[in-house]
Amino acid sequence: MHRCLRRLMIFGLAIGWLLGVCNDTARAGGPMPEEQLQGDLAIIVNTANPVESLSLTELRKVFLGERSHWPSGRRITLVMMEPGQPERRALLRDVCQMNESDFSRHFLHGVFTGEVFVSPKTLASPVGVRKFIFNVPGAIGYVRASEVDSSVKAIRVDGHLPADREYSLHLQPRAVQ
Amino acid sequence: MNLFTSSRGRTSPKSTRWMAPTQVFLVLLVVLASAGQVQAESSGETGGDRQTVQALLQRIDQLEARLARLEAAQPNGSPVTPSPTVQNPPSAPAHDQSGPQAETESEQQMGAGTEPERMDVSKTLLRVRGFADINFHGDTQKGDKTAFTLGQLNLFVTSDISDKFKFLGEIVFEAGPDNIYGKTRGENNSFGVDVERMLLQYSRNDYFNLSVGRYHTAIGYYNTAYHHSTWFQTATGRPFLFQFEDRGGILPIHTVGVSASGQVPSGRLGLHYVAEVGNGRASRSPIDQEPVQNVVDEQNRKAFNLALFARPEAIRGLQAGFSIYRNVLAPQNSPRVGETILAAHAVYISSNFEWLNEAIVVRHALEGTSQVFETPGFYTQISRRFGAYRPYFRYQYVNSSDHEPIFPDVGRRQGPSAGIRFDASESVALKLQYDYTSIRNQQAISALAMQVGFTF
Repeated sequence: MHRCLRRLMIFGLAIGWLLGVCNDTARAGGPMPEEQLQGDLAIIVNTANPVESLSLTELRKVFLGERSHWPSGRRITLVMMEPGQPERRALLRDVCQMNESDFSRHFLHGVFTGEVFVSPKTLASPVGVRKFIFNVPGAIGYVRASEVDSSVKAIRVDGHLPADREYSLHLQPRAVQ
Repeated sequence: MNLFTSSRGRTSPKSTRWMAPTQVFLVLLVVLASAGQVQAESSGETGGDRQTVQALLQRIDQLEARLARLEAAQPNGSPVTPSPTVQNPPSAPAHDQSGPQAETESEQQMGAGTEPERMDVSKTLLRVRGFADINFHGDTQKGDKTAFTLGQLNLFVTSDISDKFKFLGEIVFEAGPDNIYGKTRGENNSFGVDVERMLLQYSRNDYFNLSVGRYHTAIGYYNTAYHHSTWFQTATGRPFLFQFEDRGGILPIHTVGVSASGQVPSGRLGLHYVAEVGNGRASRSPIDQEPVQNVVDEQNRKAFNLALFARPEAIRGLQAGFSIYRNVLAPQNSPRVGETILAAHAVYISSNFEWLNEAIVVRHALEGTSQVFETPGFYTQISRRFGAYRPYFRYQYVNSSDHEPIFPDVGRRQGPSAGIRFDASESVALKLQYDYTSIRNQQAISALAMQVGFTF
């Protein structure tokens, strides 16, 4: 009887621990291996989009919903990755200069006041982001540079592409030199 | 639960005894560990992926059919460049290949490409967000009792009708009597429903957006920044200047009409405009009637409002601007009154710091006479966030003549408010606020309010 109870207790503790780990992993995205946090963040658009370059300021306006149309008149559709993803963290840090909470509140407030016309689409994986942008001519999103393929177009940020040394968007913040 | 049930159903009681600590644990370990990964990697993707892949396959079929038609139509049988697919994409960035050919190919896909923008067609187009607040309030005013009070229950509804059109609505359930220019109507504890905003929005581009319906008049900043949500507001309520019409407010907070807005090409200055034409506020009907002219206007002449404000790039979070509102009121048994409302504001809001400043002058000129009544008012509000806590301070002032033809009950009232907001979670805020209001020819009022405001 005691052995049974002890097993039950160990079993319960193990389940509790596992649930906690899974929950934390799901919530925080889990600890990322170092190599997964290396590399640049590419801003991608549909290949039909004639835009080739945006300044960081313009990019910030786009991703904060303050600019809602491309110069061609087509509506901008924002594609975000799910909270906790390193790509999203990098975009919020370097482009939006906000944390997750402020970003959510900003969009909620924007939609509430009517100033932001459409809230961002949230997708779970880089493949999903690429597919969406491939399908939607006005879409803009981001993936790590190594995930860019011919189905989408990486645009220049402040005149630089991800491979350039002066490129400013990285998954990990660069130390000030 | 199903896992346990099915396991029990398949195994004998004897085997269950030895399975519990070992196999069941291992199975659960694997299932739970993999569930987390699967959830992280593909949540929301499994169904969506299948649909997307299906859509892509359909498109490939369409393109192949089109290619076949084009090839058949080529008189000399010259080859046509095949469309790109995403099945085996090269790893190099696509910008190198984004020449005219690529653009042409993508343009061919646009017809079908616009369809996935409505990926959510299987779901309802309507999105509902709720805001509500519950209060506990007490003050020193004669006759007032300390009470728990239900605030507004606000259902904020939006719907993307099409690429250019959107619906926006705010339906508010609210208990308690209305107070219109000091006159009360309705019962103390009964609920009423108001459609506070009902807008069809058309977005042409960043420089021209058109809205038609009932909206919040773009007078100053506060009125269009917070609408009917106390959760968005730092303090427990609006400044007196921006109180709603049915809560004793003096401004035409709501208008039924047409509103155009957008950016003004101005570079780093970030100029925006708002131009509105609408029914204005009721004045001829008895004073305790609905002040917003939702269905019938008392006169053919319309109210208009023009606002201009800047959001300079150099100081993110700063907004400064002014507005001018013009209407003619026609109160019963009184000459017509020309109403002009001038408003100016300068606000700075960052994630940690907030400083709101607004000043307004309401000018009422009796037609056919030289009598002019000017009601100045202002408020300033400052707050700073410390983690989940945000202490704040507000001082407000309004000074109206006792002979004011439209709102003689207002008088001069002024005083400070101090409070603290605690964000218990991302969606729930607790506030404690003390107000001191001195009123001309009346006893000053001290009030204490607690509020829980939330969004859901």
